[in-house]
Amino acid sequence: MPFREKTAWIAVASMTLIYAIYFWSVWQHRPETRFPYLGLLATVVALVVVQVGLTIVAAIFAPQDAKAPRDEREKLIELRAARVAYSGLATGVACACFFGALNPPIVFNVNALLFILVTTEIMRCSCLIIQYRRGA
Amino acid sequence: MDPISNEIRRLRFLHGEMTQQELAQKIGVTRQTVNAIEQGKYSPSLEAAFRIAKVFGLPLESVFHYGSEK
Repeated sequence: MPFREKTAWIAVASMTLIYAIYFWSVWQHRPETRFPYLGLLATVVALVVVQVGLTIVAAIFAPQDAKAPRDEREKLIELRAARVAYSGLATGVACACFFGALNPPIVFNVNALLFILVTTEIMRCSCLIIQYRRGA
Repeated sequence: MDPISNEIRRLRFLHGEMTQQELAQKIGVTRQTVNAIEQGKYSPSLEAAFRIAKVFGLPLESVFHYGSEK
């Protein structure tokens, strides 16, 4: 498995797991006035630690691949994935704007935007994986 | 499948059974990219195509074919 596909798997798995815990916690407590800064901070720290740690491990097993710059095919794969994710992001933000006009609590709005951001990033990494699997 | 076919696999064999990794290093791409080009899953840029042809010491049209032309 190419190094960049491994890092995409690491990103998808870690984001799905760690943000699922965060959003589950937010959903359970449903804070309406106070944004869960500490929860989000812990989530981001956990994500950075897990992703950096696992990426270092992956790089140790494939040092040449990790050091090599992206070639033309890998750049194309990243561009395609970014295009797909952008469509999701634009759609999600448009929906958030629409529901934001209904005056929900600000905490809901911020978390909705965060959810859209996370979902589209997972979508981007998933597109990378699919293309690497296809070999295109 | 890509309309561009190629002779890379055969040419690698004729050039001392050159591995995909060796060819990839010579043209500055990953082994996976050489594999994708060989299988017709990815069309290389013009620059990469010229680099591949240069490695084998052949003109571009001897390495790559468009559609059914050979």
